Amino acid sequence: MAHWRRIFARLRNLLSSKRAEEDLAREVASHLTQLADDFERRGMSPEEAQLSARRAYGGVEQAKQAHRDERCLLWVEQAIQDLRYGLRTLSRCPGFTITAVLTLALGIGACTAIFSLVNAVLIRSLPYGDPERLVYLFSPNPALKIPVEVICPSYGDFYDLKREARSYVDMSNFEQAQFSVTQQGTMQRIGGARVDEDFFSTLQSTPELGHTFSVEENQSAHAKVAIISHSLWVSMFGARPDVMNRSIRLDGANYQIVGVMPPEFEYPFKTDLPYGDSHIESTQVWVPLALDAKAKSSRALGNNVSIARLRAGVSIHQAQAEMAGIMARLDKEYAADPRDAGLPREWGALVESFTGISIGPVRPLMQLLLAAVGLVLLIACGNVANLLLARAAERSRELGVRAALGAGRGRMVRQLLAESMLVGVGGCVVGIVLAVFFLRLLPMLDPGNIPRLNEASLDARVFLVAIGASLLTSLLAGLMPAIGASRMELTEFLKSHAMRGSSAGHSRLQSALIVAQTAMVVVLLTGAGLLIRSYINVESVDTGFTRSAVTFHVSLDQRYSKPEQHVAFYKDLMTKLEALPGVRAAGGVSNLPLSNSESIGFLWVEGFPNRDFQQTEGRGVTPHYFAAMQIPLISGRYFTDADASVTNNRPVIISQKFAATYFPNRNPIGGKISTDEKHEHWSTVVGVVADVRHMSLETEPMSQMYNTSYDFGDESVAVRSVLPAATVENEIRATLKSIDPSLAATDIHTMGDLVSIATARRRFQTSLLTVFAGIALIMALVGLSGLMRFSVNRRRREVGIRMALGAERSDVLLLILRNAAALVVWGLLLGLACAWIATRLLKSFLFGVGQHDPLTVVTVSVLLAVCGLMAAFVPARRAASIDPMQALRTE
Amino acid sequence: MSIQVLQGTLDLMILRTLATMGPQHAYGIASRLQQVSEYALNLNQGTIYPALVRIEQHGWTRSSWGKTENNREAKYYTITKAGLKALEEETERWRQMASVVEKLLAEEQ
Repeated sequence: MAHWRRIFARLRNLLSSKRAEEDLAREVASHLTQLADDFERRGMSPEEAQLSARRAYGGVEQAKQAHRDERCLLWVEQAIQDLRYGLRTLSRCPGFTITAVLTLALGIGACTAIFSLVNAVLIRSLPYGDPERLVYLFSPNPALKIPVEVICPSYGDFYDLKREARSYVDMSNFEQAQFSVTQQGTMQRIGGARVDEDFFSTLQSTPELGHTFSVEENQSAHAKVAIISHSLWVSMFGARPDVMNRSIRLDGANYQIVGVMPPEFEYPFKTDLPYGDSHIESTQVWVPLALDAKAKSSRALGNNVSIARLRAGVSIHQAQAEMAGIMARLDKEYAADPRDAGLPREWGALVESFTGISIGPVRPLMQLLLAAVGLVLLIACGNVANLLLARAAERSRELGVRAALGAGRGRMVRQLLAESMLVGVGGCVVGIVLAVFFLRLLPMLDPGNIPRLNEASLDARVFLVAIGASLLTSLLAGLMPAIGASRMELTEFLKSHAMRGSSAGHSRLQSALIVAQTAMVVVLLTGAGLLIRSYINVESVDTGFTRSAVTFHVSLDQRYSKPEQHVAFYKDLMTKLEALPGVRAAGGVSNLPLSNSESIGFLWVEGFPNRDFQQTEGRGVTPHYFAAMQIPLISGRYFTDADASVTNNRPVIISQKFAATYFPNRNPIGGKISTDEKHEHWSTVVGVVADVRHMSLETEPMSQMYNTSYDFGDESVAVRSVLPAATVENEIRATLKSIDPSLAATDIHTMGDLVSIATARRRFQTSLLTVFAGIALIMALVGLSGLMRFSVNRRRREVGIRMALGAERSDVLLLILRNAAALVVWGLLLGLACAWIATRLLKSFLFGVGQHDPLTVVTVSVLLAVCGLMAAFVPARRAASIDPMQALRTE
Repeated sequence: MSIQVLQGTLDLMILRTLATMGPQHAYGIASRLQQVSEYALNLNQGTIYPALVRIEQHGWTRSSWGKTENNREAKYYTITKAGLKALEEETERWRQMASVVEKLLAEEQ
């Protein structure tokens, strides 16, 4: 306590040091007078008394200094002195200060922006209790060659698991669903979920208003209750507190609102599920799943998602082993469900962590961005160090004089560090401002599949990282020149002042920094180059369809219950669409390419050595779909209108891949295909069309088969027109309204938009890495140019002598350029060597290009060489224009 | 014989002086110390200033300007309640310390 009091007293004295100083002087004077009085009283003359008083008192100045040391914190006083001095020297050379602060700010800004993104995506905790304990339960079937995270256990299996498994504290099942709501007079589709009674407890989330579903509410199919999201509460109900007394109309039925979830809870987001409904970005409304006893015991493959919370101390491995045991027993106990289209009863067990599913896919990207931005920061750090080194060299006279006057080594290091710290603080402040700006730009690049990208913001943790990074960089950058300066040999300095410098004009440390920076730039440029090449490759992939087709989704409600109504509706819609001016063709399809939904079927081909579980992508289309999407016909014919009504021996169209796989060395036209287990129904191939990239642009297409009809509940429709997309959109809305005003066209996109969405992640990573590489290149060039300028300044005398001895201006130009070229070449070689190893980490980001792509390497080398020479050219020209007479006279 | 002031004991001596003599100025304290030690204490009077400032910063004394009997201005130091408590503790500590040293020296003989 007393100790702290003393520190405060000392700090206070630091601030009011003038008053304390005066007080001390007064007290010492009074003391001396009293002593002198005393001596006088003993019979001394006033002069003698004064002298004796001084003798008795001891050194006045020493006493004062001891008093000062005791009074204040000496090091703080000195630090303030250093900072004040540093500020003054920095403001005297604004060129240096601005360059250093801006360089550092760019590095810090980029670093802070990316870190706040990583913070939002990977680090900040999710609002689901302890998210690390949440797991998804899957039951992959070895017969299905689809990703393992598609199928969750059937309801029957799930509730058996729930009864028997000991690994979980809570387990829940839910199904995603879309609902139509009318908002501000227009009908919209919103994402929703039908959830069982343990949904909210499993996620450990509670509503901000109202309550979650009671067990009764979740058991009765007639209980029309709903919980809504915070954003829906705000947009539909104006955040009114009496929302509990109101109801919401979903798909034409009234649901009593019983709860409002907090703003951060919109589970499941699109990125929370491995293969969720691609139309649902986030969940706005939850209603009870309300399974009856029959549904609860169904062993057929369902549409549900199973999520559970692990008991404390239970590992995913243990849970997985337990689930495998139970599923194996159930597989033996029950026969295959007839609804599962011939799938054997071989449901496996797979437990995967929720965070692995939601964040796992973007983790490598985040790491890549952090690494890139770390390099940018290092380059900025190198630049600042080089600037400080150059400055220390230019100030060697000042430093020498200070050392000669007795400045201690520690004090000089501290003085120089204070300066670099000031640069660091400036860089930090400007950097954070830049980071705010970068974060504003980031959503423009939003690929839509990075969870919580829009939540990237500057929180305390981000600030700490920014401050830490700038302190560390300024310390790193400041330490080298500071130590170098403090090592200066005084005699050496005094002796050699006239003939300063090495022959290169700069120190080996400065060259090493430039080489290291260049190498890092090469690594970044190579990485960016490879990503750009991959992006170009992806963009030029033959998708198999035209990008100009305008597509939309329409979903028929319960008023359309009979197949005849479906057929009538879609026939009418297609006819009306095709009658529009400018429209060339219109066609419907069950799943659009690149829409993240797929239907897989088994098939048997006549005259082919069939194996079990041969898979094909299957699509139902209206006859003019291929014309609307401009999917090229390879052989045979497209569907005709008559094909749509054929019921027996239906015509099918297959893809090239299908033809090559199942009809090797024979004409597929007229070939027979069956898709049912018992081979009762056969279809005939009437045409072969080009492969279409359905899953993603980067996955090779698998076998595809199309059949045709008009009998669809909901369908995507593609319209190809010569008119602009916006006009077509309006026409589509008007046409749909004229047929049925209560139906809405949703998800209106051109196929080009879908391609663009599919390549968005790539665009995001490629543009970010390119921007970083660009910033790094500019920084390194500024550094190189600065070093050359510095070196030319130091070599004026040498250049003067050379010219006096007959060197041409071009010789001088070459001399400097050769010097710069040596640095660039060393940097390039080192960088290429590093890139050779580092690009291995990039492998998973590349498409259609090797990690050692020669074109990239050559481009990077040429780019760097040209830019490096350009950066060195200006100082070299200045060297060449030195007037020898003047140069020799000034020294 | 002239003795050096033992590290840390000056504070104790000043506190004791102030407790005995009441408010006192630096010169008075220094004179008193020399008087009591019968001029054996080798003390430049200026050396008590750091100790005075330290003691004051601990909150053991208060200071104010006043006049001496010779009508000279001087800064007077007054011991506070906390100072009296500290004096007690320090005295106790010194006594223990002294007795330990005394015992040790007696055994050695």
